[in-house]
Amino acid sequence: MASLSLDHAGISSETLEHLMAGASPAFDAAARRTALAAYEALPYPTASYGRYWKHDLHKIDLTHVVTSAAPATDFAAPEIFASDARSAQISFIDGVIAIELPDALRERGVIVTDLATARRTHTALLDAALGTTVNVADDKYAALALAFQNVGAFVHIPAGVAVDHPIVIRYAAVANDAFPYTVISAGENARVTVIEQLVTGDAPRFMCGIAEIIAGTRAQVDYAMVQSANIQSKTMIARGATVGNDAVVRIGLAELGSALTVDTLKALEHAPGGHTDVAGLFFATGDQHVDLSTQVDHAVGSTTSNTIIKSAASDRGQARYLGNIRIRKSAHGSDSSLRDDVLLLSEKAHVDSIPALEIAANDVKAFHGATVGAIDADQLFYLMSRGVPRVEAERLIALGFFEPAIAQFPTETLRVHLREALEAKVTAQ
Amino acid sequence: MSDRGLRIKDLRASVAGKQILNGIDLVVEPGKVHALMGPNGSGKSTLAFAMTGHPNYEILGGSVTLDGEELIGMPPDKRAKAGLFLSFQYPAAIPGVSVANFIRTARQSVNPTDLPPAKFRKMIFEKLDVLDMDPAFLSRSVNDGFSGGEKKRLEMLQLAILNPKYAVLDETDSGLDVDALESVGKSVNAMRETDEGKETGFLIITHYPRILQHIKADIVHIMMDGRIVKTGGPELANVIEREGYDKIREEVAGGVA
Repeated sequence: MASLSLDHAGISSETLEHLMAGASPAFDAAARRTALAAYEALPYPTASYGRYWKHDLHKIDLTHVVTSAAPATDFAAPEIFASDARSAQISFIDGVIAIELPDALRERGVIVTDLATARRTHTALLDAALGTTVNVADDKYAALALAFQNVGAFVHIPAGVAVDHPIVIRYAAVANDAFPYTVISAGENARVTVIEQLVTGDAPRFMCGIAEIIAGTRAQVDYAMVQSANIQSKTMIARGATVGNDAVVRIGLAELGSALTVDTLKALEHAPGGHTDVAGLFFATGDQHVDLSTQVDHAVGSTTSNTIIKSAASDRGQARYLGNIRIRKSAHGSDSSLRDDVLLLSEKAHVDSIPALEIAANDVKAFHGATVGAIDADQLFYLMSRGVPRVEAERLIALGFFEPAIAQFPTETLRVHLREALEAKVTAQ
Repeated sequence: MSDRGLRIKDLRASVAGKQILNGIDLVVEPGKVHALMGPNGSGKSTLAFAMTGHPNYEILGGSVTLDGEELIGMPPDKRAKAGLFLSFQYPAAIPGVSVANFIRTARQSVNPTDLPPAKFRKMIFEKLDVLDMDPAFLSRSVNDGFSGGEKKRLEMLQLAILNPKYAVLDETDSGLDVDALESVGKSVNAMRETDEGKETGFLIITHYPRILQHIKADIVHIMMDGRIVKTGGPELANVIEREGYDKIREEVAGGVA
């Protein structure tokens, strides 16, 4: 990315024109202008439920959004997977791209590249996937993400190729705000694990992005996202997935950082035999606000899904989880479950947990279970009666609470990372 | 030392505003097995919870000293550190916390200057063996999805590993099949034969004398209506087995009249 002046800041058509003049385009100017117009025209997302949602998004100040500062040069991006524990990686520090893709994978047709390069060199493959799961025309922040897209990755696994270790996509917003766009496509019988990391430096940043996952027939895609921005930052991501015939897509969302997180996932089961797992966890501490929505849409029959969300809040943490299972009239014989549990660790913490099952077909199985509560007095007494001090007992119970969701995330390395990150949040109480 | 023992003096306690313990006097001696028997509702479990400091149980008066140290007013973890252990009738499930992690944390809390990890591991495996427990147990979540027998075995495993000065076993025999009961008996008896365990005093709370066929009681106390109404030797358990509690109730009533 060319070095640009700091005069251009904020969300405006002027900033956009400036951004386009400097960047190599993953999207053409017309698409970006249309998206910006959509962003400006679309109302703020509202919901008929929840107590905190409505008054917050209007307050986000985007007048200081920076996309043209010189990239940070002294930032060491945190690593979850050491180089021998990953198969490939694409890393962005601001706009500076670093790609590692072993020849062995490249020769088998595996693509790990930035979105602008993909646009030039893998146009057809990218076009087949991009924009198929997230509709920017009716999603305000997805539209904004597309308009200002300044970082992005395309990961493609060709038919029949299995990648042994995770492919890591890492976006670091350090001197600039980030508008990341991730596209992951897996061909027939392909197998891959993709870990996406969203991180920041110490400065408050705005991250607004899109992630799309397209799994072909009998493909297996494990996708996990770990958001660990600093706690002054704001993160808004729209995610979409489509699950092919007999394909398995497992999605793990770990929202650890940010002052405000808005994360929306829509998974579409549009082919028989498809299976989707969604696992989500967040822990709103301090003054963090988290808003997570997941939807699994069973459009056809013989599709299955499991959703498990574990959310906790302490201090003045506020959060909402909207969990939706949609079973369309045509989705006979589908089998789905939704489990969401909330742990409240302080009087002022609040989580609205709003599960919704929309079932239009008859012969389906749909399970739903939800709990909201504080730390159980009997569990606490039991641990304390074994000599464990109260603080330590509460810590154990709280960490244990997340474990069923953590267990759904790919690789022991990532699970250990999540446990440590949650433990650090619990211990900071 | 004259103040040795788990000494309960005139203990009165209530739950949800209702007084259940009406002045309990009882001394559990080191190295001895005391059985506490009584009909349902006599306050046996309340005594166990009141001694261990459950927050729902309000102490109205009296004292509980452990080798001279007053327990009343201490949080439950401090009582455990002082050397008190309660085997729960209905132990809580703690999802996501592995048995191994739990036991290690508990042992370190009660006895911080402890065994090196390898020796600790060896000890756990020995105790598992006595209890006929599969080592796979260690990686399961504490009591989560456990059968009644598995829960009681886990209580006994903790007892063996924490090696308290005084152990209260609350209805450990309830809901156990013969094999599980035998394992429980074996574990307690094995503990009592070790150098560390031979000084442990036991208070075995039970409704039926069945468990006493596996763990021999030295002294038997009968509790009714929140009081100890009779204390005697092991033969007292046989009387209960033969005649139930009614005879004793009549005796006590007669004595009062």
